Amino acid sequence: MKNKTKGLLAAYGMVLPAFLVVMLTVAYPIVSAVIQSFQDEDTGAFTTANYTYFFTETAQRNNLLYTLFVVIVTVVIAIVLAYLLALYLRFVKSGISRAIGMLYLLPRFVPTMCAVYAMITIIRDSGLINRIGLLFGLDIKLGLMYHASGIIVMNMWFNIPFATMMIAAGLGAIPDSIIEASRDSGAGRWKTFTSMILPLSMKDVVVASTFVFMSNVGSFTTPYLMGGNSPKMLGIALYDQFNKYLSYNRSAALSVIMFLICSVSAAVYIYTNLKEKDWEK
Amino acid sequence: MEERKVKLELKDMAKKYDNGDGVEHINLKVYEGEIVTFLGPSGCGKSTILRTIGGFMDVTDGDILVDGQSIVNLPPEKRPTAMVFQSYNLWPHMTIYENLAFGLKLRKVPKKEIDAEIKKMLELVSMSGFEKKYPGQLSGGQQQRIAIARSLLLKPSLLLLDEPFSALDAKIRQQMREELKKIQSDLGITVIFVTHDQEEAMALSHRIVVMNKGKFDQVGTPGEIYDSPATLHVASFIGEMNFIRNGGSTIAVRPEDIVVNKGHGPMEAVVRTIMMLGHYVVLTVQRGNEIIKCYVDRELSDQLREGDLVNLTIGKHTVFSRAA
Repeated sequence: MKNKTKGLLAAYGMVLPAFLVVMLTVAYPIVSAVIQSFQDEDTGAFTTANYTYFFTETAQRNNLLYTLFVVIVTVVIAIVLAYLLALYLRFVKSGISRAIGMLYLLPRFVPTMCAVYAMITIIRDSGLINRIGLLFGLDIKLGLMYHASGIIVMNMWFNIPFATMMIAAGLGAIPDSIIEASRDSGAGRWKTFTSMILPLSMKDVVVASTFVFMSNVGSFTTPYLMGGNSPKMLGIALYDQFNKYLSYNRSAALSVIMFLICSVSAAVYIYTNLKEKDWEK
Repeated sequence: MEERKVKLELKDMAKKYDNGDGVEHINLKVYEGEIVTFLGPSGCGKSTILRTIGGFMDVTDGDILVDGQSIVNLPPEKRPTAMVFQSYNLWPHMTIYENLAFGLKLRKVPKKEIDAEIKKMLELVSMSGFEKKYPGQLSGGQQQRIAIARSLLLKPSLLLLDEPFSALDAKIRQQMREELKKIQSDLGITVIFVTHDQEEAMALSHRIVVMNKGKFDQVGTPGEIYDSPATLHVASFIGEMNFIRNGGSTIAVRPEDIVVNKGHGPMEAVVRTIMMLGHYVVLTVQRGNEIIKCYVDRELSDQLREGDLVNLTIGKHTVFSRAA
């Protein structure tokens, strides 16, 4: 009995430091931010005005919709391109595919700032593409800077490698014999893709989508350097509220809103992982 | 003997890998209703031949004919063949019914007919009532039965089996062999079977192709291959065999073809071990440097002790020159 108590104490003792760190650095700020978001800036009384501000003010509401637009377009394009790349890496056996397989993660190792500035020097209206065009007498102005399309293009840089990695792992787990048996049964390439490969890799697609979604809702560097003045992405809007307007209660409310947007995606992620399909039982 | 219909013909077929391995000059005729087994150690090229027939690999040379028609240029889905793989055969996200119906739906068979055929086929492989289960809920043996059923439903001209039972345990494997043989004779279908298990090959096949290092060592009935092996490799690969050196040649003789007598004689040996294996006894005797295995009956073994002197008489045997 005494030994058992000792064992329990030791176990709790080992968990305690990590638990306290999480409590102090994660749980406490969340709770205090939620409380603060419902407080009036001057009186500290309970109010929902901090929230209604972000949904009723035209500029703020536009920021919210703009962010969702950029993020969803990023998710869709990044996942489609990543899926195609992962398919290529899985099913084409050649020197080029092996080389791409080794190199495709490289962009993720470039620091965000460097990558964004590098991209700006290429795509801005006086950038590399414009100058090459001038050599041929063409004045190419892509108009990507300070526009949603520029942010989306930049997001591809970081999100395609990441999504490809997750989807490629899923496709790699599909045995060849499953595909061969399908062809053997009379299914052509397209039918084999829609009936075998796609359903068997759907889970990885959903998981990769949720990760891309979450990491882009709160993105800062790319929209800060490449985004326009209005509308802004929520990361920048939050920065303004906190650092320029010193409006801590509204900042707290916006943080909670962003957290809730992310948690939708987190819920999808957890649901996909927990829900065992019938065939996985 | 009446002329039998040729189902499959391999004509000087070759499949070379980039590293130089592979098979070449493969010539074989398989007749309708036959079970032909490719037997050999791993890496001998037996699966390569099967996969080229199924269309999962291109041939580098030669031709493959089914019912007299060349199939080498057809993709797997257009070939009149159906293949059962070693494992991971069934589509895990589909029920057994969906697995079985997949190929039939592609062929636009009416739903009623599909249901009836699946019912009949599940009966044939003794798996009735499993329609709604998923492959993951079945044992390995059950999964392979469904895999065979799925292939048979497509009414293939040729059924290809790539070591289908090697992932199963010994008892189930034996049972599956018997079932396959029964199904084959009921349906009269032509089967190409690949295995590295000589016992499986002997039990199942009408003819065996013994392969070694990308070449055919011998093609023959199980009896022919067992009784008169063409090469030392075949002799050592199939069944138990003693190799006795005799001058410049090697005598290959099966343990059951050696007669053992107690006492002196022209070919004397000393008993080393006596192992009772049920209705017969395995005796190993030492003669010079060589250890020879013999099967004897209980009556004789009861009289023998380790260290006793015995005389051997060699019965049916094959002689190979030492170089072989």
